[in-house]
Amino acid sequence: MEFLQSGAGVRTVRLDPRTKIVLLFAVSTVLLLGGNGPAMFAVRTTMLLFPFALLAVSVRVRVAVLMLAAYLGTYALAVFAAPALSGVANAFVVASATVVSRFVPTLALAYFVFATTTVSEFMAAMARMRMPDWITIPLSVLFRFFPTLGEEARAIGAAMRMRGISPLRNGVTYVECALVPLMSCAVSIGEDLSAAALARGLGGPAKRTNVCAIGFGALDIAVIAVSAAATALLAASLTFPGAIA
Amino acid sequence: MNGGVREGAPVLLMDNVSFFYAGERSGAGVAGISLSLCAGELALLCGRSGCGKTTVTRLANGLAPHFYEGTVAGSVRVCGLDVARAELWETARLVGSVFQNPKSQFYNVDVRGEVAFGCENLGFDPADIERRVDDAVREFDLAPLLDASIFSLSGGQKQRVACASATATSPRLVVLDEPSSNLDFETIARLRAAIVRWKESGAAVLVAEHRIHYLDGLADQVIYLDEGRIAHRWSGEEFARLDDAERVRLGLRARSVADALRFPERSRLAPDVPSRSDDGRAGQTPRKAAKPEKPPIRFEKLTADYRKNGAFERALDVPSLELPQASVTALVGPCGAGKSTFAEAVCGLNRCEGTMEIDGERLGKRDRRRRCFMVMQNVNHQLFAESVLDEVLLGMTGDDRGQRALSILRDLDLDELAQAHPLSLSGGQRQRVAIAQALATDRPLIVYDEPTSGLDLAHMRQVAETIRGVRARDATQIVITHDPEFVLSCCTHVAMMENGRIADTFPLCEETANRLADLFLAYDRP
Amino acid sequence: MAHNSTAPSAAAKTGDRLGGKDLINIGIFTAIYFVVVFAVACLGFIPILMAAICGIIPLIAGIPYMLFLTRARKFGMITILGLLTGIIMFITGMGYFSIATGLICGLIADLIWKSGGYASASRAVLSHGVFSCWIIGNFLPFLITADTYLPTVRAQYGDAYVDELMTYLQPEMYPVLLIACFVTGIIGGFIGRAILKKHFERAGIA
Repeated sequence: MEFLQSGAGVRTVRLDPRTKIVLLFAVSTVLLLGGNGPAMFAVRTTMLLFPFALLAVSVRVRVAVLMLAAYLGTYALAVFAAPALSGVANAFVVASATVVSRFVPTLALAYFVFATTTVSEFMAAMARMRMPDWITIPLSVLFRFFPTLGEEARAIGAAMRMRGISPLRNGVTYVECALVPLMSCAVSIGEDLSAAALARGLGGPAKRTNVCAIGFGALDIAVIAVSAAATALLAASLTFPGAIA
Repeated sequence: MNGGVREGAPVLLMDNVSFFYAGERSGAGVAGISLSLCAGELALLCGRSGCGKTTVTRLANGLAPHFYEGTVAGSVRVCGLDVARAELWETARLVGSVFQNPKSQFYNVDVRGEVAFGCENLGFDPADIERRVDDAVREFDLAPLLDASIFSLSGGQKQRVACASATATSPRLVVLDEPSSNLDFETIARLRAAIVRWKESGAAVLVAEHRIHYLDGLADQVIYLDEGRIAHRWSGEEFARLDDAERVRLGLRARSVADALRFPERSRLAPDVPSRSDDGRAGQTPRKAAKPEKPPIRFEKLTADYRKNGAFERALDVPSLELPQASVTALVGPCGAGKSTFAEAVCGLNRCEGTMEIDGERLGKRDRRRRCFMVMQNVNHQLFAESVLDEVLLGMTGDDRGQRALSILRDLDLDELAQAHPLSLSGGQRQRVAIAQALATDRPLIVYDEPTSGLDLAHMRQVAETIRGVRARDATQIVITHDPEFVLSCCTHVAMMENGRIADTFPLCEETANRLADLFLAYDRP
Repeated sequence: MAHNSTAPSAAAKTGDRLGGKDLINIGIFTAIYFVVVFAVACLGFIPILMAAICGIIPLIAGIPYMLFLTRARKFGMITILGLLTGIIMFITGMGYFSIATGLICGLIADLIWKSGGYASASRAVLSHGVFSCWIIGNFLPFLITADTYLPTVRAQYGDAYVDELMTYLQPEMYPVLLIACFVTGIIGGFIGRAILKKHFERAGIA
């Protein structure tokens, strides 16, 4: 699975996980709240293109281009279809397109975050932020478990195709056929995973150390500055509508 | 570490230990286990499936009773530490563990992080961890993989990462629970090398294993468990001298490749399908030449690609291949040769091109999905229904389907389990349910992906017998396998794969058995 | 015999504190739960179905939830499940309101499950009904930020679209959505129990 290939070495952009959290927060806020006027339009556009740029420079140009194309395509569809259609058809096409174009940038950012953060870095960053085990451990397992579920789901999907089980022919049974083996496999992998992790001392009282070097560099500061500026501008434009126009 | 241990004192000391699981499904309990293992020694735990050998390894690394809950009696000490009472993280300082399933035992997504994981949890100094990780990476030849996602590694590579991760904390005791189950011959040779290094570095090694041939000459003690109790103890030399009949009686797999080739089933090469046995009897004309009734299954221009860094690379390239109908072909070859890709392409499950011709009918990818069937390595992926009977009926058509389903279940010795939930069955029974699915939908070609990984002798023979039974029903079968004993007990042909191509095919008979032997022996020692 | 003593079981030793095994279980089930939610939510890209996913998600999500409850025997596990689900929704761009609703609904669902001694079937179903209400967090942005969000949309896509959209997302729709989440959550709970009995208990993993 290409998603979540956390190569520790081949990364042109090395951001601290905490920077990524700040960025996630800023992009999410700006895209959600929007704001009006050309100035905010510029801010929104900047924050929106940020994820694609990060994806592109961190070895994943193809994915970045594909996602950007999806974004621009749906955006154009929404803008050009709006005047041409009316009533339900209008709402249907435009809203589908807006929903897609609204989520693609954040999904691109999520992709970037998952693909460039190793479990070790993540745990180190969480420790620096004094996050307790009960949030760090489940989150780190979550990171690792998505690709596992993907692998299992693919194998189960192949088995279903071989048996001719399809959503059209089997309807609700299809969901059951997919979920039951997926969950039983996930549970047994989870059991093994827990045993292996605990046998290697996870969750002990010793203060966990980390080999990976995390910390803020020039790039982190730049990203945080841009995020902070965008959020501040947004706050200003919301508090004093018209002041920034 | 732990300098308080006297020179020569046992690293692992079990004294009359018993353990019973709280939940009945977690495993087999053990009783009266006593065992003493010194630095640099290897103890091999063997016995039939369900004899409790895995439980003994869990007692040694503390997972029983701290993870698998239950009641423990007696004492388990590792370098003086009372493992049954100490917390798991205390035990983790002394004991390194490698488990059966390579894909479910890693916590990180990157290789480097995974190797360092144990050290980080134990709070070692980062500079020290760096050094340990570098050492382990060198020792297990992981440098080319350091930047890879663990999800992109093969099973053998994952197992190497697991070994490196266990080594990095410099454990006094290394515990391995069926580490070779999912490995091919080449990777097993590396596993052997790792074990040799652990022994040389003064660690004690405890291995529970079915496939024991790769430990030939390494075991200092061999402990045979039966129903949770120690039934036999041998020194390494005594075990090597044990005669074959006795070994087979105890249900043990081959102790060495030579053993495998002396395997009693060998005398039954290409044996018991009476209707067409005149061409296959030991060491005579190849089956291909002497079978006029049905044309062979023919594959043409079978190719498959996989995507790597955005570009497509050819993973499979088989210009043409013929398989006699009702034959059983063993597909062998090193890890990464494209065996699984071939199997998926045959069943039309991956991105592939090419056709299959059977009885004059040409089948494209979509048709093959309906006509071929794969019994997957993890058979749980293909069990969907709430009872064995429903599982077989799913996809069957015709008014007499109930009748036919029951008759298939009878043939596969599953009729008594017709109402049981497929997931409540044993591994072997589940596998037969999958085979029943194939028979129920009249698939002329069935492919098996490593059907005997992690099986003891009795279960391996059971699979072989099932495959011979399926053969009697005229289905053609392909078996991906790394198991010489198994090949000799039920296969009629051998196809060798290398670099995505079929390098060689030959019918299996008395003379060609030696070619098979060469093949396996070549991997046996690096 | 001196050495013939019984070690305390792991549960007794860790007491009510969440151990490593519990925390890993939470992570695994959050992953399964999220995959189900996400798969269903993809249907929601069609906007008329967007409100309807409120009703569809809990029907299916009840299956992993009920299996999770067989592992949640300590207080806090459901709360963390809710919180993490919210965090993942935030990361994938659904806004941060789900973090709050996930935390709150998770906490109440946890208390309900606890009040049944971690074994009551009816409390399990009720717990899922309440837990499912977190989904409303995905729609809150439209309500809370309507003043700033809608003019932007209106400027971009025209009045017709906004008017159409608003017929689905009137403020008075929110209580309806909330009730829909709860009711389908209850139904999903029953479905989950049924699947648990039909498959997972017989398979020995429940």
